[in-house]
Amino acid sequence: MSGAMAPAGGVERDQGRNRGRDRGLDRRRRLRDGLATLLCGLATVLVLLALFSILATLVWNGIGGLSVATLTRVTAPGGENGGLLNPIVGSVIQVALATLLGAPIGIAAGIFLAEYGAGSPFATAVRFISDMLLSAPSILVGLFVYLLLVAPVRHFSGYAGIVALAILVIPIVVRTTEDMLRLVPLSMREAAAALGAPRWKVVLLVCVRAAAGGMATGVLLAVARIAGETAPLLFTSLGNLNWSTRLGAPMASLPVTIYQYAGSAFDDWVQLAWTAALLITAGVLLLNMGARFALRRRGER
Amino acid sequence: MEPDANHRSRAMPDSAIPAADGALSAAARAMISIRGLDFHYGDHHALRGISLDFPARQVTGMIGPSGCGKSTLLRILNRMYDLYPGQRATGEVLLDGENIIAPGTDVNRLRSRVGMVFQKPTPFPMSIRDNIAFGIKLHERISRSEMDGRIEDALRRVALWTEVKDRLRAGAGALSGGQQQRLCIARTIATRPEVILLDEPTSALDPISTARIEELLDELKQDFTIAIVTHNLQQAARCADQVAFFFMGELVEVDRADRMFTTPRLKRTQDYITGRFG
Ligand SMILES: Nc1ncnc2c1ncn2[C@@H]1O[C@H](COP(=O)(O)OP(=O)(O)O)[C@@H](O)[C@H]1O
Ligand SMILES: [Mg+2]
Repeated sequence: MSGAMAPAGGVERDQGRNRGRDRGLDRRRRLRDGLATLLCGLATVLVLLALFSILATLVWNGIGGLSVATLTRVTAPGGENGGLLNPIVGSVIQVALATLLGAPIGIAAGIFLAEYGAGSPFATAVRFISDMLLSAPSILVGLFVYLLLVAPVRHFSGYAGIVALAILVIPIVVRTTEDMLRLVPLSMREAAAALGAPRWKVVLLVCVRAAAGGMATGVLLAVARIAGETAPLLFTSLGNLNWSTRLGAPMASLPVTIYQYAGSAFDDWVQLAWTAALLITAGVLLLNMGARFALRRRGER
Repeated sequence: MEPDANHRSRAMPDSAIPAADGALSAAARAMISIRGLDFHYGDHHALRGISLDFPARQVTGMIGPSGCGKSTLLRILNRMYDLYPGQRATGEVLLDGENIIAPGTDVNRLRSRVGMVFQKPTPFPMSIRDNIAFGIKLHERISRSEMDGRIEDALRRVALWTEVKDRLRAGAGALSGGQQQRLCIARTIATRPEVILLDEPTSALDPISTARIEELLDELKQDFTIAIVTHNLQQAARCADQVAFFFMGELVEVDRADRMFTTPRLKRTQDYITGRFG
């Protein structure tokens, strides 16, 4: 009787016989499909709403403090018309140097894991540690670097901040680099090897190039992550109320400034905190869009 | 089942290819001579006692049902299997009298002499020009102008030059499937190999692209020794001078293409080419 038991030749006839039942089944399926779609849609709207309200609040509160003076003046005591120049420059220096330090290490480790470390115990250990670092609270990283680079010399420094941020960059870049390299098809590796390319050239000239877009995205992800990090900087570069670009001295940064200003009693400091938050967000956004644009251009070439 | 020795003697050119006969005269020097070749994927014995000659500057077609070991044999000729641990070949594969499956062989130099084109086009993620320059640069240091000449020459030989000469710096990924496959052939011949291996090079292509590549093979055999795996018997009949029929890891019969398709000597070959199995 049932369609499942019928021999292959009888399928068509069975479909006719079961059409009535199928219609009921169909309606139920449609209903469930509709419900699932609705729930997914609702979840999406919820996420978008949350995101949008954060952005809107940021722009609403931050844009008022955005002026030439804010961007060109150094921080000052509350009520004395200070700006954000030193935190901006400090953040740019620390984030840039941390990326320059951490990304190559992360890329190298990611290449090792994807291309050379298949199944070796050492690679398994490296992957495990890297994944642990990925989920480690950033304040621990700050404390670690404090013990390593701040406590022994008895003063905070830009160097220490850079190292702390770089440690956060590495596991993100390792993960994305390894994942992206694993996506490079075997056929492409074989094609390069078939031309007589030694292993390292296959990896560096073909696989890495094929994965470059994804790897760049990983680096950007890391930049976005560290640009807003406060905790690791509190114990390392500390912040600096004066203009300073010396890496050996304490160095200001936007997140630490937000941390100090946001809860203060001075209205102009609170305003500057909002503006600093807006600047970080806008900076990361612009960087992302710029990189995407550049990658797309390269892809079209 | 015939005894092994029977296969082996049939595979020998002196028995399979009578000397006085046209295209495959005894004068055609064997570019590659396989003698008593066995291949293992771990425990799986994929090729047994293969002996086969690839005459210089001729096209050898390799046919047989899926899984019979055609690709496996092709991938021995450039030691592609070296990339994977657990795969091993025993016996002799002589290229210019040198056993290339012996341990001391410089594999990368071998691959510059024995090029390979795959089933799916595999352009590298770089410009058309760099795709071809890549292979050349692996083995030679030449000036820019010489490089430009070599690239143009390779592209002309695969009849791609007029189609791409204005966009040599554009990404190779934007080419059509047929163009990509011709680029891959150009990339292979640009390194000036002696032998070109093609593993079902047209099975992912449309009929027009396929026809162009078949035409191309006819020209390429002026300069290269060609081994082509194909599941398309018409293609083997059209392109190959010599055809080898494989079945379950063994070489069943090898003969001149015209004879193979008109008067195969073995029943199994006949059954296969008349479509009774495979
Ligand atoms: N990487 C591999 N590992 C194990 N067995 C393989 C591998 N590749 C191919 N084989 C086996 O070897 C035999 C020959 O395969 P192949 O040479 O690819 O056949 P063909 O190209 O003639 O279709 C098949 O039985 C196949 O399953
Ligand atoms: Mg195959």
